[in-house]
Amino acid sequence: MSEGYAGETALVGAESNTYDRALDATIALTVLSFLLGLLTMVRIVGLDTAGVALTDTFVWLLALGVGAVGVVALLDALAVVLVTSARVRGVGIGLVASLAGLTVLAGLLDVTLATLLGLVLLVEAAVVLGAGVASHRGVVDTEPSATPGLLAGGAFGVVGALIGAALGGTILSGLPFAFVGSALVGGLGLAALTVLPREDLGSSLPVALLVGLLGLVVVTGTIDVGWTWSPGQTIDGDLTGGVVIPLFTLLGSIVAGWGAAKARAGYGARGRQYGAFLTIYLNAILTVAVMVSIVAFVTMQGITYAIHGFSIGALSALVLLTPALALALDWARTPAGTDEWHSGARQFLRVTPLAALGALVGLLAVVLVTGEAVEIPFTYTVWVNRSPEVLDTALSITSRTTVGTLLVVVPGLFLLWFFLRRYGSLRGVGTVRERLSSVERAVGLATGLALVVVALLALPLPDALAVVPIWPLEALAAALALPLVWLATLATGGLVLLALGSLLAGGDGLADRAVDRAQAVRVGLGGALVLLFGAVLLEPTGGVNPSVGPANLVPVVAVLAAVSSLAVAGLTGIAARSTADGGVSRVLGKEGTLGMAGAAGFTVLAALHVALTGVDFSVGPLTIGHGGTLSWPMAMDAYIPLGAEPGGIMPAVVGTVWLVVGAALFAVPLGVGAAVFLTEYAEQGRVTSVVEIATNALWSTPSIVFGLFGAAFLIPRLGGDESLMAGMLVLGFMLLPLVLITSREAIKSVPDEYRDASAALGVTRWETIKSVVVPASMPGVITGVILGVGRVAGETAPLILVLGSTLNATEAIDVLGGFQFTASPPFVYNPTLLEASAALPTQVWAVIAAGVSGSPSMGWASALLLLVVVLTFYAVGIVARTYFRRKLDYE
Amino acid sequence: MSRLAAVAAWVGALPGRLARWALDLPARLVAGLVATRRVLVGSDPSPEEALFSLGLLASIGAVVVTFLLANDLTPYPMLAVFGLVAVGWRGYQARTAKLLTVFATVGTVLTLGFITYFLFERAWEPITTFGLELLAIPTDGEGSTRWFFWLDAVLPQGDGPTGWNPAGGNPSLLAATWATVIVTLVAGAVAAPLGVLGALFIAEIASDGLREIIKPAVEILAGIPSIVYGFIGFAVLNSFMQDAFLDPGASFLIAGLVVGLMALPTVVSVAEDAITAVPAAMSDGSIAMGATEWQTMKAITIPSAISGISAAIILGLGRAIGETMAVAAIMAAGTTFADPLYDVFDQSVTLTSRIATSYGSASGTTLDVLFVAGVMLFAIVAGMSVVAQYVESRLSRDLGGDR
Repeated sequence: MSEGYAGETALVGAESNTYDRALDATIALTVLSFLLGLLTMVRIVGLDTAGVALTDTFVWLLALGVGAVGVVALLDALAVVLVTSARVRGVGIGLVASLAGLTVLAGLLDVTLATLLGLVLLVEAAVVLGAGVASHRGVVDTEPSATPGLLAGGAFGVVGALIGAALGGTILSGLPFAFVGSALVGGLGLAALTVLPREDLGSSLPVALLVGLLGLVVVTGTIDVGWTWSPGQTIDGDLTGGVVIPLFTLLGSIVAGWGAAKARAGYGARGRQYGAFLTIYLNAILTVAVMVSIVAFVTMQGITYAIHGFSIGALSALVLLTPALALALDWARTPAGTDEWHSGARQFLRVTPLAALGALVGLLAVVLVTGEAVEIPFTYTVWVNRSPEVLDTALSITSRTTVGTLLVVVPGLFLLWFFLRRYGSLRGVGTVRERLSSVERAVGLATGLALVVVALLALPLPDALAVVPIWPLEALAAALALPLVWLATLATGGLVLLALGSLLAGGDGLADRAVDRAQAVRVGLGGALVLLFGAVLLEPTGGVNPSVGPANLVPVVAVLAAVSSLAVAGLTGIAARSTADGGVSRVLGKEGTLGMAGAAGFTVLAALHVALTGVDFSVGPLTIGHGGTLSWPMAMDAYIPLGAEPGGIMPAVVGTVWLVVGAALFAVPLGVGAAVFLTEYAEQGRVTSVVEIATNALWSTPSIVFGLFGAAFLIPRLGGDESLMAGMLVLGFMLLPLVLITSREAIKSVPDEYRDASAALGVTRWETIKSVVVPASMPGVITGVILGVGRVAGETAPLILVLGSTLNATEAIDVLGGFQFTASPPFVYNPTLLEASAALPTQVWAVIAAGVSGSPSMGWASALLLLVVVLTFYAVGIVARTYFRRKLDYE
Repeated sequence: MSRLAAVAAWVGALPGRLARWALDLPARLVAGLVATRRVLVGSDPSPEEALFSLGLLASIGAVVVTFLLANDLTPYPMLAVFGLVAVGWRGYQARTAKLLTVFATVGTVLTLGFITYFLFERAWEPITTFGLELLAIPTDGEGSTRWFFWLDAVLPQGDGPTGWNPAGGNPSLLAATWATVIVTLVAGAVAAPLGVLGALFIAEIASDGLREIIKPAVEILAGIPSIVYGFIGFAVLNSFMQDAFLDPGASFLIAGLVVGLMALPTVVSVAEDAITAVPAAMSDGSIAMGATEWQTMKAITIPSAISGISAAIILGLGRAIGETMAVAAIMAAGTTFADPLYDVFDQSVTLTSRIATSYGSASGTTLDVLFVAGVMLFAIVAGMSVVAQYVESRLSRDLGGDR
C-alpha cells in the first residue's frame, strides 16, 4: 500500500538518487542474507563452504536471481508487466547487484561462507549508519520524528539484554550472577540509544551497533563453525557455530532490513510503515516457505518408494484423463473477463490446461498406436536387515488396451454427474406427445419391477418364511430374471434408436426437428439409461448373462447406445452451429449435454456389467476387463514377506477408507440434524449457547482423550479387542463437534430474507427448511464435512489406542465381504468390523515405534501417501468453499 | 471501594434471589414441560399425529434401551423406527423431520456429554485414592526435594528421583506436566508472534490476490497430520539437533518448535478473524485523519481486536498442550524432570505422549493414573477453550455497537 503515496519518490528528492539506490540495494542485500541464513540453518549450504565451491554456489544463486529479475525486467521493457514503483525496481536491481558482488567477492577473497556472511552484516550496518548520519546532517531530505518510539526501544532493549547476558556470562564467567548485571546494562543501554536521539539516529545507531557487532564477531572468527559454548555445565546441549552464525545472520538481516527500509522511506510515519511491513512480509515469506518445504521434503523423501513399479495401460490413462479433459474444456470455454489489453494473457491461462492435457493425450495415443511402452527407470531404497538396499524400478505407460472396470466406472460416474448437472431439464419443451408420456410411465414401471425382482433375489428371506413356501417368490423371481433382462435390453436399444431416429428422420431442418421432438430425446435417452441399469443389476442376482452368438447382449447394446448418444450430441452440436435463435440453441445445447451424459452413463453400465458378471468384454482390440492395467504396488499391494520387492501398504489404505466412511456415517447425520434443530427450531437462548460453548470446547479437546474414552468404554463392549468399529466410532465422536459447528455456521449464514420471503408466501416452516434453508446452506455443510473428514483421516493418537498399529500387514480388512445375514436378530452382522486393521497414520507410527528395525523409506512413503490423502481432502474443501463463496457473491 | 460495595450488595440480595428462584421453580417446570411437549408433539396436534409422535418417541427410546441392555433385541424397535419414519414422512413430514432433528440433537448432546461424564467418572476414583500424590515432587538421591518454585511447600514429596512409576507407588504426574509446560512455552514463543504477524499480514496488508494464496496455504499447513510432523522430527530433526546443539538425544526445544509450527495455523486463522471483525469504519476514520496504515494498525486495529488476538493465542496454546503424536515421535523417553528445570535440551514424556505410549502396556494403577492425566488434559484444554470463547464474545460485544 505504500505505493499509494504519489510523492514517494519526490519526497526524498531527485538529487539524492544515490541515497535511494544504496538503500534499495541494502534492502535487497538483507533479504538475500535472510535467505542465506535460512539455507545455512537447514544446511542446504554448508557454512564452511569456501573457494571454488562457494563461487559455484553464488553463481547458481546469481543465475536464479538474474533469471527472476531478468524476466520481470524484460516483460517490463516490453510493456507487458508494468513495474512503476521505484522501490521495486531498485530492490530488483539491488538483488542482482548484490548477488554479482557476492559472487565476485567469493571468487576474489579466500574466505568461508560464514566469514562472507559476517562481511555482509558489516556492510549492512555501515550503510544503515551512513543513511542515519546523512539524514541527521540534513544531506538528504527526510522527515524524522523526534524519537523512534517505545516499541522499537523495547525491542532493542530485549535484544540488548540478551547480548549483554551472553557477553557477561562468557567474559565475566567467574562472577556469579554477572550476567544479570550485564544484561541490564546491555538492555537499558541499547534501549536508551534507540529512544533518546532523534528518529534517524535512533533507528540507525543501535542497528549499526547490533548488526556490526554480530558481523564483527563472525568476521574476526571469534565465533566460527567449530565454536561451541555451553550455557551451563548441567544443560544438555551446547551452542555451536553452525547454529549461532545462521541465527546471527537471520537476526542481523531482519534488523538491518528494518533500519534500511525506514531510512529509504525517509523515516517518520512512512518510514515506520515501510520498516514494519518489510518485517511482516519477511515473516509471511518464512511461514509459506516452511509450509512448502515441509510438503516438498516429505515428497522428495517418499516419492521413489511410493511410486515404485507404477505402471498404467495407455488406454486406462486416457480414460482417467477424461474428467480432467471435461474440466479443462469447461475452464477454457469460460469467457476471459474484460476486453483489456491483457485479456490475451488471460486467454492463454485458460487454454493452457487444455493444451497440456492435449499433449498428454498425444503421448498416450502414440503409445497406443506404435505399441511401444514409455518407461522412466529410477531406483528406490528398501531396508533389509536394517541396512539399505537399492532396487531398480520404473514408471511405465504400457501399450495394453485393457481397462479395468473401476477405472471406467469412477471417471464415467463423474462425467455423468458433470453433464447431468449442467443439463437441467427438458421437461415440457417441444410438442408433448401422449404416447411418449405413456412410454415414460411404462419405463418407470418396468424398472420398478426389475428392482423388486433384484431385491427378492438378493436379500435372503427370513428362515421363518422360507420354511413355509406359501408363495414361491424366489422361484418366480428367478424365472423372471432372464426374460426381463432380454426385454429391458431390447427396449433400451429401441429407446435409444427412438431418440436418434427422431433427430434423423422427418421434415423441417435438423434444428427445428430437434426442438420439436425434445421429448423423444429426453424419454429415449433417459429411459434407456434407467432400464439398462435395471437389466445390469438383474444379471448377477438372477445369475443370467444373455448372449447373442459369441457376444454378450447387454454390453453390446450399452456400447451401441453410447455411440448413438454421442451421435445425438454430435447432431445437436451441428444443428446448433446453423441456428442463430438463442432459444433454439439453448434447447440444442441441453440435448447435446444429455447425449454426452448418456454416452458416459452407457459406458459406465457396460463396465458395471463386466464387474458384476465377471466376463470381460472386448470391442476389437479394446477390452473392458476384470483385471485392469493399472498397477501401483504401494497402494494396491499388501506387504510381501521375504519378497524381492517390498510390496505396499494396501491394508492401511483400505483401513483408512473404512475409518473415514464409518466416522462420516456416524457423525454427519447426527451433526447436521442437530444443527438444523438448534438453529432453526430451538429458541436461541441459554441452552443453545451452552451447547455451542460445549461443542467448541470438545472440538479443541486433545484427540488422545477421545482415544482414552474409546479404549476404556467402547472396546470392552465391542469384543474386548482393538477393532475397526471402535476406531470408526472414536473418529466419529471427534468429527461430531466439527460437523455441528460448521453446519450451524452454514445454516446461520443463510440470510433471514430467504426465510422471510418463504414465510411470506405462506410456506410452512418445515417446507422452508427443506426447500430454502438446507439447499442454501448445503455448500457450507459439505465443505465443513470435507475439511473435518480430512482432519480425522490424519488423526493418529486415538487410533493407536483403539485400533492398534501393525507394521507389515499382509491382509486388508474385507468389510463388504464380512456382512452376514442371519435369520435371528440382529439379522445383519459383520464380524470383520470387530477386527483390528491397519490405517495410514498408524502405519507411520508403527515405523517410528519399530525404531531401528523400521524401514525409514517405507515410513516416508507412508507419510507421503497420508499427506496426499489428507491434503486432497483439504484442497477439495478449500476449492469448493472458494467456488461456492464466489457463486454466492454473484447472486 | 465501590466494587467492594457492589459485591456486598450482590451478596446481600442473594437470599432474596434464591427465594424468588425457588418460588418460580414450579412455574418453570410447567413451562419446561409445555415446551417439551411442543417440541415433541406440537402445540395443537391431531390425535393421530400425537399418537405417531409418541410412537416414534417410544420406539427410539426402545432402541436406546435395548442397545444399552441386550444387543439382540435392538433390531425390532429399530425396524419400528424405520417403519414409523417411512409412514410419517408421507403423512406428517414436518413433524417427522422435526422429531428426527430433535433426536439428532439429543443424541449429539448425550454422546458428547456421556464421553465427558465417563472420563471424569473413570478418573474420580484414582484422584480420590492418590490425591496430591499425583503431583508429588520427587526427591533426589539424598532424600531432599528438588527445588520447584514455591510448590514444594504445598505438594507432598514422593520417594526417589524418578517422576513416574505408578506400579511401584509413585504415581506423580508432575514431571510429565512440567514437560508439557516447557513444550507449550516453546511452542507459544514460536506460534504467538509469528501467528499474530501472519494474521496481520493476511487481514490488513496482503492484496486480495496474495490473500487468496496465503490463506489456503495456512489452512493446508493446519491440515498436515501431526504424525507427519512427528515422522519428520523422528527421522530428521532429532539428528539435526544432535548435530547442531551437540545434544545427546531428543529435546524439548525441537518438540516445542514443531508443536509451535502446528499451533501456528490456529493462531493465524482465529486472530485473522478477530482483526477482520474490526469494523472498517474505525480504521477508515484513522486513515482519513492522515495516519499511515501502520499507525492505524498499531493504534486502532490491534487494540480493538486485542481480545480476539488473545483468544487466538489461548486456543493455539490449547492446541499445543493437546498435541500428541509429534511429541511422542520426537521424545520417546524420559520420566524425570528436566535438569535444571529450564533445560530445553533435555527430554521427558509429556502428558499426552505418556498416555499414547504407555496405554498399550498399562494395567491397574498405571491405567488409573493415565486416566487422571487424560482428565487433566481435558479439563485444562476445554477450560482454555471456554475462556477463549468468553474473550471472543467480549470482542464481538465491544465491536457490535455500530452494527
